[in-house]
Amino acid sequence: MTTRHATQLGQAALRICGRWLTTVVGVAALLLLLVEMAPGDAIDLLPDGETLRAELERRWHLGRPLPERLLLWLLSALGGDLGTSWTIRPGAPVSEVLRGPALASLLRLLAALMTSAGVALALAWRSAGHASWLRRPVHVLSLAPVFLLAHLAVAGLNASAWSLMEAGWIDRPAWFALPTEPSVLRSFLAVVLLALGSTALSGLVTDLEDAIARLRHAPFVLAARGRGEPVDPMILRNLVPVAAALLADRLAFFVGGLVILEKVLLLGGAGSLLWRASLERDVALVLAIGVGTGLVVATGRLASDALRAYADPRLTTAPTR
Amino acid sequence: MLQLVLPLLLSAALAVDTPVRYAEDRAPAIVNPLFATSMSEARLHELVFEGLFSDDHDLRSAPQLAESLELAEDKLTATVRLRQGVRWHDGESFDADDVIFSVRAMSDAATASTEAGRTAWISEVTALDPHTVQLTFVAPEHSPQDKLHFKILPEHRLGELPIKRTHPFRNRPVGTGPWMVQAFNEDSSISLSRFADHWRPASLSELSMREVSDKNYQSKLLLYKSLDLLVRVLPRDLAPLQNDRNIELYPYQTNSWWYVGFNLSDVRLKDARVREALALLVDIPELLRPIGTGELVTGPFVVSSPYYDHGVPKRETDPDRAGALLREAGYSFDGKRWLDASGSPLRVRLASQADLETSQDVVVNLQSQLQNQGIVVEPEFLRRAEWKQRVWRERDFDLILSQWSFDRNEDVYEQFHSSGGRNFVGYASAEVDQLLDEARNTTDPQVKKQQLRRVHSVIAADIPMMFLWTLDNYAAVSSKVGSVEIHPFYFFTWATDWTLR
Repeated sequence: MTTRHATQLGQAALRICGRWLTTVVGVAALLLLLVEMAPGDAIDLLPDGETLRAELERRWHLGRPLPERLLLWLLSALGGDLGTSWTIRPGAPVSEVLRGPALASLLRLLAALMTSAGVALALAWRSAGHASWLRRPVHVLSLAPVFLLAHLAVAGLNASAWSLMEAGWIDRPAWFALPTEPSVLRSFLAVVLLALGSTALSGLVTDLEDAIARLRHAPFVLAARGRGEPVDPMILRNLVPVAAALLADRLAFFVGGLVILEKVLLLGGAGSLLWRASLERDVALVLAIGVGTGLVVATGRLASDALRAYADPRLTTAPTR
Repeated sequence: MLQLVLPLLLSAALAVDTPVRYAEDRAPAIVNPLFATSMSEARLHELVFEGLFSDDHDLRSAPQLAESLELAEDKLTATVRLRQGVRWHDGESFDADDVIFSVRAMSDAATASTEAGRTAWISEVTALDPHTVQLTFVAPEHSPQDKLHFKILPEHRLGELPIKRTHPFRNRPVGTGPWMVQAFNEDSSISLSRFADHWRPASLSELSMREVSDKNYQSKLLLYKSLDLLVRVLPRDLAPLQNDRNIELYPYQTNSWWYVGFNLSDVRLKDARVREALALLVDIPELLRPIGTGELVTGPFVVSSPYYDHGVPKRETDPDRAGALLREAGYSFDGKRWLDASGSPLRVRLASQADLETSQDVVVNLQSQLQNQGIVVEPEFLRRAEWKQRVWRERDFDLILSQWSFDRNEDVYEQFHSSGGRNFVGYASAEVDQLLDEARNTTDPQVKKQQLRRVHSVIAADIPMMFLWTLDNYAAVSSKVGSVEIHPFYFFTWATDWTLR
């Protein structure tokens, strides 16, 4: 690697770090601003809030200007201290409140991404470059927003199961009635609906179809085909970074969908906690979840860039003009 | 097709022994009677904690953790003999120290308990022996047992004063009640199991509080047998639940009433003629009809209350009289709207709590009624924090639609005394102040009754609010639960007697 390449790589790394930092600070600032703009404050939601107002305003820096509060929180977070929950679990460390739900949400998110990518790849592989009867139903189904799909799924499953139970055809399923009964089905639905709804699947299928069609007609694939070599593994290998980039682009979108699904399906997770914390004005929790989510999205993009660079040597070794 | 096949595929074994599950719109934030603020908390406390006295089925005070009470002749002290052999859920013995601690904790200024008012009448509490306490009162008390319903807390668990809301007790509560908290679950539900060492063990072995924030979905879950009890059924759900043979409906009265409050610091609404005119333009029975059934009230007590003054007449709708009052107050009618002296339409903002069930129906109906009479109404639905900021702190409203709920004491001091913390409308009457002060210190029930009936009539005449109604409540309970009797305020007071059929 030449000095010039090293400098370019350094500059690229700096750009990525800058983008990463901007995302974190931007998310924190935006969330703080949004919570601040809503009428009332967290103290209003505490039963004995008024008697404790002076003390809590001091402890939570409520009287200070917004930029100062943002800076104080960021400095404290950089030092590893995310503070304590204000209203959801008053006094409990945010890191402790967040640990379990964050892990659960992360797993759901990864499962949904994998499901979406897997199904989209299977469909796109089949339909790329030619007409397919599957394309239309997939697009129609995928157009529905996730909250609507979740409500339909819950109502449909409950109503049909109830009819079957009343008719004596089945015993009461353990998951009945959704979403109040804790069951694996709720998580399963969340993953499937997140992978499918709000155009997540149809968008991915369309983009992958384009990419597959392009790759099938790429000169190196045509050359390989001419040599009688198997081309599918080659196309799939070259599709990996493309798929990763497409998923990374949609990551924030998936995160938003997960918040809604966790709320609708009553799933414990960072999304439902964010929803509750926003309503309860638990600023410490809102900031931690918001910034954590920003970090996940930024890291996802970083990973996708790294994968692209790894899979496509031209990006790191090609001489620049 | 998918909807039919999936349940078949996913069906699993039927659960055999499920707890009795009841729904709350909102799970209790913390379980500590020192900081109780919501009805969901009060109901849970009724299962887990006990007081020295409690209501019997005729709503008379009956000993609970107390065994007997002996009142001194001067009525300034009472000796309370405590029930022996009572244990806390962690196995420790209950004794006089717990009673002393509970009174001190509730009265402690630094603890800032929301229950401070319940012990303010006790000046001193001392232990005569481990199972006897002596209470000294601020003023003579005729019936102190009626005020000894506050929950007793375990000294060994809460330790030193002051107690903070963040004390770990909030989600590891220990009481002496018939059920103990088993777990706070991830889905915000709370599991309770029967306390086997209770002095009068309950029949139901397990209970579960489930948070179902969508009230519309609660009755569906009851029909689906995913819930066994609804504390309050929405009027529109009464018919389908009544028709289900697996569900029983239980009517019960609550000490709560609805009102439309006037902001008396508003220059227009300060004028009693304008308030009366607005009240005369509203057809209250028509407002009530779409949301259920109930009794109209003319003042700040429920009709069955001993303090309710039945001599106060109900205000009938009278647009002509309302028009005359508005003209007298300087308003004119242009054929469509009422205009003030500057020619601007008489316009009022009507704020209501977004989470107050069925309030939207009432607000829309009220808006329509007043607009038909030429008054412009701008409805606002405020969430909890905004409500507290706008209504409680800033008094930034014209009219508010809300309700007040009371326990058996029906103490309206905070709502109507000029120094009352919940007197958002800004009502001030020297006579009412004096009557309320006297009623708080009166120990003779008959005198108190007369004082508060007078409060009722004075307030009704001053019209700081339009008093609306007290709603009929129905609880819905699965028919698998028998011997159900419901306490009008705390709901679960007599749940120990409930059985599983």
